[in-house]
Amino acid sequence: MSIKFENVTKTFGDTRVVDDLSLEIDDGEFVVLLGPSGCGKTTTLRMLAGLETVTTGDIYIGDERINDVPTQHRDLAMVFQSYALYPHMTIAENIAYPLRVRKLDKNERAKRVNDVAAMLEIESLLDRKPRQLSGGERQRVALARAIVREPRAYLMDEPLSNLDARLRVQMRGELKRLQHQLGTTTIYVTHDQAEAMTLASRVAVMKRGKLQQFDTPLNIYNHPANRFVAEFVGSPSMNFIDGRIDGGVFMSELIRIPVTKENTNQITIGIRPEHIRVLNEPQNGAIAATVYVTELMGNETFVFLTVGNNRLIARAPAEFRADVESPVWLRIVADKAHFFDTRTGLSI
Amino acid sequence: MKHRFSKYVALSVALAAALAPVYWMFTISLKSEIDHFASPPPWFNFTPTLEHYYEAFVTRSFGQYLITSAVVAVISTLCALVLGTFAAYSLARFRLPYNLDSRLSMWILSTRMFPAIVTAVPLFLMMRDLRLLNTKAALIIVYTAFNLPFVVWMMRGFFDEVPRDLEEAALVDGDSRMGALFRVVLPLVAPGLAATAVFCLIVSWNEFLFALVLTQTDASMTLPVGIAGRVTQYEIKWGVMSAAGAVAIVPILVFAMAMQKYLVRGLSMGAVKG
Repeated sequence: MSIKFENVTKTFGDTRVVDDLSLEIDDGEFVVLLGPSGCGKTTTLRMLAGLETVTTGDIYIGDERINDVPTQHRDLAMVFQSYALYPHMTIAENIAYPLRVRKLDKNERAKRVNDVAAMLEIESLLDRKPRQLSGGERQRVALARAIVREPRAYLMDEPLSNLDARLRVQMRGELKRLQHQLGTTTIYVTHDQAEAMTLASRVAVMKRGKLQQFDTPLNIYNHPANRFVAEFVGSPSMNFIDGRIDGGVFMSELIRIPVTKENTNQITIGIRPEHIRVLNEPQNGAIAATVYVTELMGNETFVFLTVGNNRLIARAPAEFRADVESPVWLRIVADKAHFFDTRTGLSI
Repeated sequence: MKHRFSKYVALSVALAAALAPVYWMFTISLKSEIDHFASPPPWFNFTPTLEHYYEAFVTRSFGQYLITSAVVAVISTLCALVLGTFAAYSLARFRLPYNLDSRLSMWILSTRMFPAIVTAVPLFLMMRDLRLLNTKAALIIVYTAFNLPFVVWMMRGFFDEVPRDLEEAALVDGDSRMGALFRVVLPLVAPGLAATAVFCLIVSWNEFLFALVLTQTDASMTLPVGIAGRVTQYEIKWGVMSAAGAVAIVPILVFAMAMQKYLVRGLSMGAVKG
């Protein structure tokens, strides 16, 4: 089902947790709400679930305005960060719970539980209690409980954040596959930009209750609407250098980059780490820099650099070697640079 | 080794101190009247007799008192548990305007802060006007009222231990508030509920003051009042009192033992998260 937020605001006391949020999510989309903690993404999800009231504005599922519909009648399924498995019930009873409260007949219930368990490969766990399960297994059970019926949408609140790194990547893939298989609208909350990039058909980036940008992962990465989005998405983060443009050249104390922009006294240039080439030898037009530290990641090396007062990060091949404090030279891929208004942070 | 020895000594002393009065009461209930006043008292070598039990439960109305006590204790405990559990759930889960939820909690607790005797006279007058003197209903109402604050505070603590996520999950799964309470929350606080029930039952079973003030007839009197009534200006029926006392211990003992596994879990619930 399609979902629509129309000028939704949520205040707790004097704090605006969600500020005038408008969002249209198409049927079958996988939308990720992305942002740092306290940005209002979880509150947004909880308003949709009916676990928080809406202060002003409207929320629609399909054509139905659901502001005043109680949670249990919204026909959504949710996966909680804590998984929220019922500790006193077996796994089978946990998964069957949404069917039980809908008074589905016993045989049908058992059949559906078995189908879902098979789909998520947890058949062998059905008779156990949640506390006997590992984190990854609990995660699957929580997922099974959500998909055992066909809700209008799945809501997921940082469902992978309690898993270890390896399992997280594995579950991420399975989630994406599962959503593709089921085709049900999914809204997924996370602060992990890698999850957002890999899972989403569209990403909504939020900051302090305000929607910053709502677009496909590729556009978010390549055309960030403002400095915040540019900085938040991508790892390691984009480099920012304050400076001015004069006669087709961006200038900041020691850095000179030829650009095709009009003259301005105040501008911030943003360069992704992969658009900085680090050279061990001086080259015509290259910028002199000093190595602060290098981090070998296995398949590549992150090079932390200082250029005057600026700190930059560059991605280099794994073979790149340089000692701390040794001189290096940088070539910047100027046509991949982003420009931001230094004052407002908006993309130019 | 020495450490363990001292532990057993300490335990034995504590046990002896706790059980000595019970032992004394039990032996008196089995001794003939002549042995009650022997000096030194015969600790073990006396001829046991059941005459006091016969007198208490056959000649006199202690059987009736026992039934009254049981009815009053059980019904008032049930009432306090039902009302108190719902109240505690609301206080634990819903935020009321003007900070009312925490104020109400304090207010409820404050009813336990003054000595019970303060309310004896007003309660007597109220029950008289309601024509409830010498009825079980009077005691049930009063005991329910006095157990309520205890139930509310105990259960509120247990409800606070249950993660909100679980209820929210139940709601999203399509259950109603009530359904979530009965299917998810209550099963999780069941040990706490059992522990609370035991305490309520003990308090109601042993209550003396209000029973004395509000009931005077054989048909409405509870066991503690009945036992105390055997201290008269002419004689003190030690044997009958002890026999009745010995019987009075049994139901609570059995109930508490049946609930023991919950008692331990209930009282230490916050310690281990499920």
